Amino acid sequence: MNTGDEWKEVPFNSRDPVYLQVVRHFKERIATGRLSAGQVVPSRRELGALMKINPNTVQKAYKEMEEQRLIMTEGNSPSKVTSDAEVLSRIRAELLGEAVQAFVASVRKIDVPIDELLQLVKRKYEEAPEHD
Amino acid sequence: MIEVTDIRKRYRRRDVLSGVTFAADKGQITCLIGLNGAGKSTILKAIMGLTPIAGGSIRIDGQAPGPKLYEKVAFVPDRLTMPSGMKLIEAHRFMADFYAGWNGERAGELMRFFGLSYSDRIGSLSKGTAAKFNLLLGLSQDSDYILMDEPFAGIDLFSREAITEVFTSELIEGRGVLFTTHEIGEMEHLIDRAVLLQGGKVERAFDCDEMRGAEGKSVIDVMREVYRA
Amino acid sequence: MSYLKLVHMEVHRFRWVIAALMGITAIFQFGGLIATLASELSRREYRLPQDIGNSSIPAPAPDLLTFEWAMFNTQLWFILPMLLSMAVLGLYVFIIWYRDWIGRSTFIYRLLMLPSARRNLYFAKLTAFLLFVFGMVSFQLALLPIEHLVFKLVVPADLRADSHIVDVIGINQALAELIPRKFEQFLYSYGLGTIVVLAIFTAILLERSYRGIGILYGLLYLGACALAVAFPIIFLGVEVPYTYFYPAEVYAIELAMCALVGGVSVWLGTRLLARKITV
Repeated sequence: MNTGDEWKEVPFNSRDPVYLQVVRHFKERIATGRLSAGQVVPSRRELGALMKINPNTVQKAYKEMEEQRLIMTEGNSPSKVTSDAEVLSRIRAELLGEAVQAFVASVRKIDVPIDELLQLVKRKYEEAPEHD
Repeated sequence: MIEVTDIRKRYRRRDVLSGVTFAADKGQITCLIGLNGAGKSTILKAIMGLTPIAGGSIRIDGQAPGPKLYEKVAFVPDRLTMPSGMKLIEAHRFMADFYAGWNGERAGELMRFFGLSYSDRIGSLSKGTAAKFNLLLGLSQDSDYILMDEPFAGIDLFSREAITEVFTSELIEGRGVLFTTHEIGEMEHLIDRAVLLQGGKVERAFDCDEMRGAEGKSVIDVMREVYRA
Repeated sequence: MSYLKLVHMEVHRFRWVIAALMGITAIFQFGGLIATLASELSRREYRLPQDIGNSSIPAPAPDLLTFEWAMFNTQLWFILPMLLSMAVLGLYVFIIWYRDWIGRSTFIYRLLMLPSARRNLYFAKLTAFLLFVFGMVSFQLALLPIEHLVFKLVVPADLRADSHIVDVIGINQALAELIPRKFEQFLYSYGLGTIVVLAIFTAILLERSYRGIGILYGLLYLGACALAVAFPIIFLGVEVPYTYFYPAEVYAIELAMCALVGGVSVWLGTRLLARKITV
């Protein structure tokens, strides 16, 4: 996280609010364990420079994340990822829910029996390499 | 806040501005978008008192433009504002001499960041370097607002990148930034507000993230609607 | 203070041109002086006294050479650099404004954005111009004693006689025009010159404010100024028969007109600069 390189390659789309894309990116990192509970997140300035977005947008994203209790800021110390298990599992559930919903929406167009689909998912999931 | 209300201007028997109204807030990056000849530069010049207007009003934090304005608002035009024969070091001295809000330390940092040399002559700067030096002169003033006229026009990729970096840095934090452009390009994710000019008037003015959230449209999408119609 | 800094800057920007003019002036005058004296001395050495009448030198040399004689015979060497200086300074009235707009560097953006009243800009440019004019005049005055010294060095003591500096200035047409004998005359010439410059400044600012049509405004303004200044002399002057006024009254009216033209020019010029100027 201190290297910062991993923040640089975040592709933004132009049709979702930029600050929400930043929030979502944080959630993905938390859910995939690349940001762990209690870890210090980059300062607002650092993140703006790394992700090439303006300081206002970073500010809005951090505010949103604080409201959603994703990150905590105490006094003047740097913001940290929450250690609240409830929040962490909520993030996980949210991302998983979204992914499954997107998947379902796309396979629904193909008329496939649910058992066959689940079998296929199971086999692919086990075959797939562990990375990412 | 910079408030432009119903400003009008005629030039060579043509209405360049026919009632332009918009505002640019402190702490926000506002982008004035318009095709070439839409009067973007004229608006910035009018705010800076560099060209008279035929009607309407301009207020900066409630005050009418005047000599005091020039400590509060910095302007980065699309051309050099120092004599060709001057060396960069002399230009620094000139600015320090005349502006109470000149921040020499920041100017020095920016010289290094942009890779400029104090002993160069203004007249010998390439287009990209000149744009960087122009920007340096504006950013090194401790002003509340900074106006930039086409900061990306006609310069090389690496100069563009260096200048884009400025927009993501503390250099503009807390300041109100108002800049003009005719193509949004890589700035799409960097701006807070967009003001679209068409036919001497403001066609649309919106908060970019709100537009994306509410209508799912990017700045480019809205530009397409306005300029293709 | 912003005004003084601006004056310094304007002087600094034009310093090489003025230095070059001074250099050319000095070279011409010293060169002319030395050449004239040398040819006269050699003529005396090789020719018989009765040949003096056929000399190509316009004024026959007196038995003893004076500095006055030298100044009279080197007038052309004074007039040429002086005409050049006048031409350059005349152009400078325009250059001092237009160079800030024209070219790749548009310094006028910066000058108009300085956080001080814009009239400082106007007065700084005027001051710089006057400084250069009086600088050239003072330079000429300072050259005279040096030229006198050169004269003494070149001409052997037994061939020369002393002369008075006032006569020296009086006999050289160039110097006489540049440095009038009467202080009043000096005030009139340079005062009128300043008023002309003020009027031209305003005409330039009219053009810079209104561009195309501004050229017409500028010319009309100059015409109006010329008329205002000439009016008392043409219509009320001493040569007009049955005039209503005494010469002293005409003189007072003339002075008032000059003051009016100067005052209006400054007022209009600074106002245009503050409100109407465009980059």
